[in-house]
Amino acid sequence: MALLRKFNNHLHQYMAIPAIVLFGFFFIYPLIRGVGISLTDSNGITPANFVGLQNFIDFFRDDRAMHDMMTTLWFAIGSAPLLNLFGFLYALLLDQKMAGKGFVRAIVYLPAVISPLIMGYIWYFILQPERGFLYHLGQNLKLEFLQGNWLGSSTSAMVLLIIVNVWQFVGMTMIIYLAGLQSIPAELYEAGRIDGAGGWKTLWNVTIPMLYPSIKINVVTNIIGSLSVFDIIVALTDGGPGYSTESLSLYIMRMQYGSFTGYSTAVALILFLIIIIPVFLFLRLTRNKEVEM
Amino acid sequence: MKQLTGILKYLAVIAVSLLALIPFYVLLYLGLNTPSGNVFEGGALPLPDFYFGNFREAWIASQLGTAIGNSLIITAGALLIMVAVSSAAAYSIARFKSKMNALIFNTLLICMMVPAIIITVPLYTLMRSIHGINTLWAMILLLAANGLPMAVFLYTSFIKSLPREVEESAIIDGCTYFSAFWRVTFHFLKPVTASLVILSGLGIWNNYGQAVFFLQRQEMRTVPLAVSMFFQKYGADWNLMAAAAMIGLAPAVLAFLAFQKYFIKGITAGAVKG
Repeated sequence: MALLRKFNNHLHQYMAIPAIVLFGFFFIYPLIRGVGISLTDSNGITPANFVGLQNFIDFFRDDRAMHDMMTTLWFAIGSAPLLNLFGFLYALLLDQKMAGKGFVRAIVYLPAVISPLIMGYIWYFILQPERGFLYHLGQNLKLEFLQGNWLGSSTSAMVLLIIVNVWQFVGMTMIIYLAGLQSIPAELYEAGRIDGAGGWKTLWNVTIPMLYPSIKINVVTNIIGSLSVFDIIVALTDGGPGYSTESLSLYIMRMQYGSFTGYSTAVALILFLIIIIPVFLFLRLTRNKEVEM
Repeated sequence: MKQLTGILKYLAVIAVSLLALIPFYVLLYLGLNTPSGNVFEGGALPLPDFYFGNFREAWIASQLGTAIGNSLIITAGALLIMVAVSSAAAYSIARFKSKMNALIFNTLLICMMVPAIIITVPLYTLMRSIHGINTLWAMILLLAANGLPMAVFLYTSFIKSLPREVEESAIIDGCTYFSAFWRVTFHFLKPVTASLVILSGLGIWNNYGQAVFFLQRQEMRTVPLAVSMFFQKYGADWNLMAAAAMIGLAPAVLAFLAFQKYFIKGITAGAVKG
């Protein structure tokens, strides 16, 4: 009985254990197994042989993998800054006093409520050549440029993927910036006004530094999200034309269906490094920017 | 001048809203059109035929009822487990510093950056060995686990901003710290819980990446799998897909609209202040 009471009194120190057990079982354990698999020539069927770092060396000789890595990077370089820019502008706009702004915020967030896969299908319907919504609109309005085959060339397909991605997740970025804007105390703006700071100066010297926690969350989640992009590409271009808009995650997925288990797991680990490096660089570079309250 | 910026502001708001609504209009248009009426004739703004047969047909063809049921069970189950486990963990991490708690927190934080696709293959082996393929309970546990890092992160920073006095009076009344959390502190976490129900709930409802691997049998399918069926199997049956998407997404959209009031509050409290 005394033992039980003693246990009860210390229970609060061990309340994080269920979380790490559940997460460990479904995430960390498979992750460690994955590292093991990446060092073999496993194909998921016949017994695997240990091949050391061969898979990681092969990655750099794999033209398609190199191409997909560049595609993934371009997608991220296009998406992450635009998402933050528009998310910030949207937040500034919808932070102002006006009727119905709560309603508009909900509408802007709405695309992120729908699964990216289904959203991608809808955008495919809009943009598809000859039969798409946009094509017919162009026909009806006699606008030639709307009738182009936008998904047919790799450059314009890539631009479209970035636009659709930004369009879908701008609401999410906006919400985080809005939350940040609302936690800035009004006295700070007041102080700025008394010091004679104009709109731009206030934005630069008060708003942006105070928003650092929001910027941090948004930049990090956008880097992770856009470097591991997958659903939108599957739905909109399926990696085409050819494999010109194929991202690394899509390549990994395809190889996993195609039983290149060992190699695809190695590529997945490389993708993890590709994600973690810019995230750490960003956090390191901006570490001193945080304003202590 | 002031009036002009006011007008510009409203124009910008209208533009932003219309832009966000385009695909919803297309969805509505497709869902309400007769199967032969995909191509619209004349006019700048196409109007649908207001044909409601698609909904009936989509409902039957994709067994949407079953899919919605499965999605509801998975989403509710995963959210319940995730909220209980992560809030408890966050309480311990935020209030009682120890090496173990710090290690758990940092591990979860780093794993937030690991894209789920890395573990697909070993996870498949694992799911097979625990007989979890095509079962709802394994999917519930898996998705609850996937949502944990984010949830622990949000709860931890929120609890850190709560004064300790919150649970102190319960302690004086003879509660242990453990029961004080469930009886008192947990109720103060409502804003974060509400945002998690939206943020993670939507992610779970829309999950495709894991569902496509682990729920292959027809009667186990979730909403995204049922809807995407029209895209693959029958070579893009647009009207039915749109109708199925509208039915299948309605619960998510309604839940979002109902909770969105608390959403920003919870994000402010959990993420931005921490």
